Amino acid sequence: MSVLNEIPVLSLILWSPLVGLLVILLMPKQRSGWMKTAAIVTTLVPLAFSLWLYAGYDKQQGGDAFEERLSWVQVPLSKEFQSGVTEFVFRLDYTLGVDGISLPLVLLTALVTAMAALAAYHVKKRWKSFFAWFLLLEAGMLGVFLARDIFLFFVFFEVTLVAMYFLIGIWGYYNRERAANQFLLYNGLGSAIMLLAFVLLVNTAGFRVEQAGEQISYIYSGSYGDILRNMTDPAAWVNAVPDQLRPANPFYMSDTMRWTLFIMLLAAFGIKLPVFPFHTWMLKVHTEAPPAVVMIHSGVLLKMGAYGLIRFGFGLFPEQAKAWAAVLAALGVINLLYGALLAFRQQEFKLVLAYSSISHMGIVLLGLAAFNELGLQGALFQLVSHGLISALLFLIVGSLYERTGTTELPLLGGLARSMPFMGGVLLAAGLASLGLPGLSGFVGEFLSLLGLFESMRWLTALAVLGIILTAVYVLRAVLKITFGRQQEKHTALKDARLIEAVPMIVLLAFIVLLGCYPSLLTDTVQLGAEGLFEQLLATRAGG
Amino acid sequence: MDMYTKAAWIVPLLPLAAFLVLTALGRGSRRAGAVFGSLFSLAALVLSLLIVAERLEPDAVDYSYAFDWIRAGDFTLRIGFEVTNLTAMMLAVVTLVSFLVNVYSAGYMKNDERITVYYGYVSLFTFSMLGLVLSDNLLSLYIFWELVGVCSFLLVGFWYAKPKAKAAAKKAFIVTRIGDAGLLIGIMLLFWYMPDHALDFTTIQSVFDGQSGAITTGITTLIALCIFLGAVGKSGQFPLHVWLPDAMEGPTPISALIHAATMVAAGVFLIARTYDIFQDSAAAMETVAYVGGFTALFAATIALVQQDIKRILAYSTVSQLGYMIMALGLGSLTGGIFHLFTHAFFKALLFLGAGSIIHAVHTQNIKEMGGLGTRMKLTAWTFAIGALALSGIPPFSGFWSKDLILTAAYESNPLLFFVGLAAAFCTALYMTRLFILVFMGKPGAASAAAHEAPRSMTVPLVALAVPAAIAGFVETPWNGWFGSWLSGHQEPAHGSAAAIIASIAVSVLGLYVGWLVYGRRSIGRITLAERSPWLYKLLERGYFVDELYAAAVVKPIKLAGQLLILFDEFIVGGLVRAAGAATSSAGRLAARLQNGQTQTYGLAAVIGLVILVAALVGRRFLP
Amino acid sequence: MLPSYLTLAAILFCIGLYGALVKRNAVIVLLSLELMLNAVNLNLVAFSKYGVVPSLTGQIFSLFTITVAAAEAAIGVAILIALFRLRGTVKIDEFDEMRR
Repeated sequence: MSVLNEIPVLSLILWSPLVGLLVILLMPKQRSGWMKTAAIVTTLVPLAFSLWLYAGYDKQQGGDAFEERLSWVQVPLSKEFQSGVTEFVFRLDYTLGVDGISLPLVLLTALVTAMAALAAYHVKKRWKSFFAWFLLLEAGMLGVFLARDIFLFFVFFEVTLVAMYFLIGIWGYYNRERAANQFLLYNGLGSAIMLLAFVLLVNTAGFRVEQAGEQISYIYSGSYGDILRNMTDPAAWVNAVPDQLRPANPFYMSDTMRWTLFIMLLAAFGIKLPVFPFHTWMLKVHTEAPPAVVMIHSGVLLKMGAYGLIRFGFGLFPEQAKAWAAVLAALGVINLLYGALLAFRQQEFKLVLAYSSISHMGIVLLGLAAFNELGLQGALFQLVSHGLISALLFLIVGSLYERTGTTELPLLGGLARSMPFMGGVLLAAGLASLGLPGLSGFVGEFLSLLGLFESMRWLTALAVLGIILTAVYVLRAVLKITFGRQQEKHTALKDARLIEAVPMIVLLAFIVLLGCYPSLLTDTVQLGAEGLFEQLLATRAGG
Repeated sequence: MDMYTKAAWIVPLLPLAAFLVLTALGRGSRRAGAVFGSLFSLAALVLSLLIVAERLEPDAVDYSYAFDWIRAGDFTLRIGFEVTNLTAMMLAVVTLVSFLVNVYSAGYMKNDERITVYYGYVSLFTFSMLGLVLSDNLLSLYIFWELVGVCSFLLVGFWYAKPKAKAAAKKAFIVTRIGDAGLLIGIMLLFWYMPDHALDFTTIQSVFDGQSGAITTGITTLIALCIFLGAVGKSGQFPLHVWLPDAMEGPTPISALIHAATMVAAGVFLIARTYDIFQDSAAAMETVAYVGGFTALFAATIALVQQDIKRILAYSTVSQLGYMIMALGLGSLTGGIFHLFTHAFFKALLFLGAGSIIHAVHTQNIKEMGGLGTRMKLTAWTFAIGALALSGIPPFSGFWSKDLILTAAYESNPLLFFVGLAAAFCTALYMTRLFILVFMGKPGAASAAAHEAPRSMTVPLVALAVPAAIAGFVETPWNGWFGSWLSGHQEPAHGSAAAIIASIAVSVLGLYVGWLVYGRRSIGRITLAERSPWLYKLLERGYFVDELYAAAVVKPIKLAGQLLILFDEFIVGGLVRAAGAATSSAGRLAARLQNGQTQTYGLAAVIGLVILVAALVGRRFLP
Repeated sequence: MLPSYLTLAAILFCIGLYGALVKRNAVIVLLSLELMLNAVNLNLVAFSKYGVVPSLTGQIFSLFTITVAAAEAAIGVAILIALFRLRGTVKIDEFDEMRR
């Protein structure tokens, strides 16, 4: 544990994929085997580190840990602002840190990426650039969860966009370029809104005064800690209502401003989540992107939306979020039911899974809208659990497509006969997805709904209806594939190879582990995010 | 003194171990399934019997242990186990039937290539069922409740290549899930209304003691009804009974284990576990009683005309479960549990007997059977015991439990008493019909090559026939031992001569009418079908409940899905496309300016410059 | 004196601008460009002589401009010849390769 505090472990996690990237860039172009091996080994490094980090995280102490800070860019500003100032700068810091919310997501990212790297042996062309983008994507995702500076966060967020764009556009299926463009347009729009909101935030709340003897420094920065402190401290300038004494307080954040920022952030991260009606882009991505990439997309990238919403939307604007709890819950129920009903009628398995992702992300919104510990725990649990489950499902989709050349439900059937192992795993993943107790899906669902039930009875009852529908569409799709009569041409199909079986077993093991022993995750979240929870719940008591 | 009771948590772990071992082995070893499954369930049975023996001591106290499962701030969800007399009894019943079914399956499933998988599923089911029984709170009960559901799903769909099995498995899961959703809401209601958010049965018992008034009657009724909805789904009560007859697509030993003796009784067990909530709400009790009574009669009439031996037994199970539920609704906890206890034996026996028959004749249609009594003596005799017990003929076990229920109805609700009598009459009638058509008369088309089943299948039959015959003596009109043991305090023996006489009379009448119709044929067999074909059709199709659901629920949902697809495609997608089209047409407009003529660009630049200068200079002249 | 020089330069510049924007013949456009550059040169020299702070810098700069103008004319004419060989014309409105 002490060792963890002495080494820059977060930077190691963050930059190790890029080292692997460099190594792969130096490899000869034709050596696909070398590159695949190198990519798998590379993804194991952050996985090992984040497991270590997870184990070494001091739950009792909680809060932010392992913080690293380096000054990155510094721009001097006019000193005329106030006399007696020795330094007035705009500074971008390289700040990393983890707490109870980001730690599980870092681990999830490392795990899903490693499994996706194993699944990436389906890739048939341009291995070098594939793995380069792939590892860049991993670094970007890790950066998003590790960054403690909103500009750094933004930079990593954008890195994932670019990497995804190429991964979809080059290695996808038939309509890949369209899908990639739509992905970029939607997410670019989201990012633009996010950037605007961030700039506004930094301009008002990203302000810090440092005094060392005679030296007084005024520093603008995107430091999340500073912003959070300013937003929550009632004595901070941000919260000081302009009055007789301070007629002009350029930092005061009015209610209108707060609402604007909150809604902007909600829109920006809502697109990523995705919230109805911003979901169409992700259907395309789910159907067109290569399986290994969809594993990451569905497993991790969607979670970045929820993470951003929790960290920025809820963390910085708890009152607004609280006031809109009913709206969020309604959106959640719409997502849940809309996704479920549409998933029920799809003929393409990938689309079923895409709509089911929409449906499951609805549960995250429900948990967030609950505004109690149960709901927040549930939302976070659902994030991790859905990450694992959807990664597993798309892993199977990839293997299935490789064998049958299709994922259209009417063309499949009875595959449990020729592929008992994969059929079994698919069934288990489906059961996890429909929230069977003992598997991780149940815990997130149950906690979210239980939390929401306190304040919104009828909406919760409606959401429970969605859970029945979930069973309907999951069973319909899974049974269509594995049960029933087998197609003539599919009788000779081979069951999973070792390289496919390993990630399946690993992911399934995590799903079972979390389902049976959820405290493994909930304790870390509870104690590691106590500050955020307390702040949110204080809002609840006050307003 | 309570050494075994404290070790009760080991009981479910034994079949779990069997499941893990079998899963690890995979399909490789064919014999491992029967060996491991039987041995581990035997161990569980022995331990359960030891626990029961301990519980028989007069001074035995309930024992429970729980640990934190999820901590979220001030909220804690716990999981644990509790041993009471009720759970001990259920442990014994479940492990006994499970062990016998394990042994039986060694013969029945011998030629199936996935026998190891089968045994794995059965072990997993036994684990879940035992976990359900032992749960000390509603949450862990719910967890195992879902797990037994999924095991049932897996086993109903065991022959997955059959489209009917696939449909039945899906139906079983989804229909019970509707009930589960109700239970889930009930749990949430309880969670937020209970003091300290406790969900364990002990606290529930103390809160709902009828006088504390911590929770208003309206909410109590709501909670009770939500929980009851769960029971309705699991125990196949009207209107969620539709899955149970279809579930007969699974292997027959599974029907005996899951769909007759254990899992379907879980609903009754659940109500018994949370009985204090129900007792606090008269409205809930009435609902329970009427739903149960209605289901008892409703399913019994359907069973009269079915042709598939397993479907007859399935409807009979629905009907008998209705009896149990009705008893609980009438306030007779002892009656409900007692009937659960005896029913587990005789219905498992009947199903295993049916399995033996199907094993011999390879059909399930009773019209094709006949005259099997001489060829399969042991099966016939044990089946007869089961049928007599089910029909409520003294002194077989079913009589005593059914009589207790009818007595309770006689004392409090005359309407339900008559409903119960009518159902009892139907029960005796359809069992007579079944027995005569299968075992007596001329050999049917399929019974030519029939022969007695192997030893591994007949031994369980005999083993079950014994309790089916005599288990009723634990509670008789003059001996209230079972009720006293269950409730933990002395309960007077119930007995009403009128009820007993009526009960015996209708059962014997049913038997006699059955014999007249099917045995002596003094009444035409096909009378009903000819006189009122619509009635026959109505009964045969189970009152068209399935068709009703297809039209009223499935179709609208499919339609809604289809409409939403269009909505997603054209409205949501259309808006997106419109936004995209607007952007690109704006781009195309701007691209017009790019005509490649350098001089035009230059001119534009100059004009821009002039405007800029004019603006800068002109500002001076403005005020 | 300064205004007259500046006026002359402005007239020259405007003529050059007009030619550069309007004439279709590329040679004339090049010549017009030279005209505009020379207008600038005139300004530079005028300011270096009659400006508020007279200094030699203006004249030196005009030398630079002349050099650059010569180089520009050389390159321009070279491109023009190459284009003429390719297209057989020097009409500037036919050179619209960069359209959209």
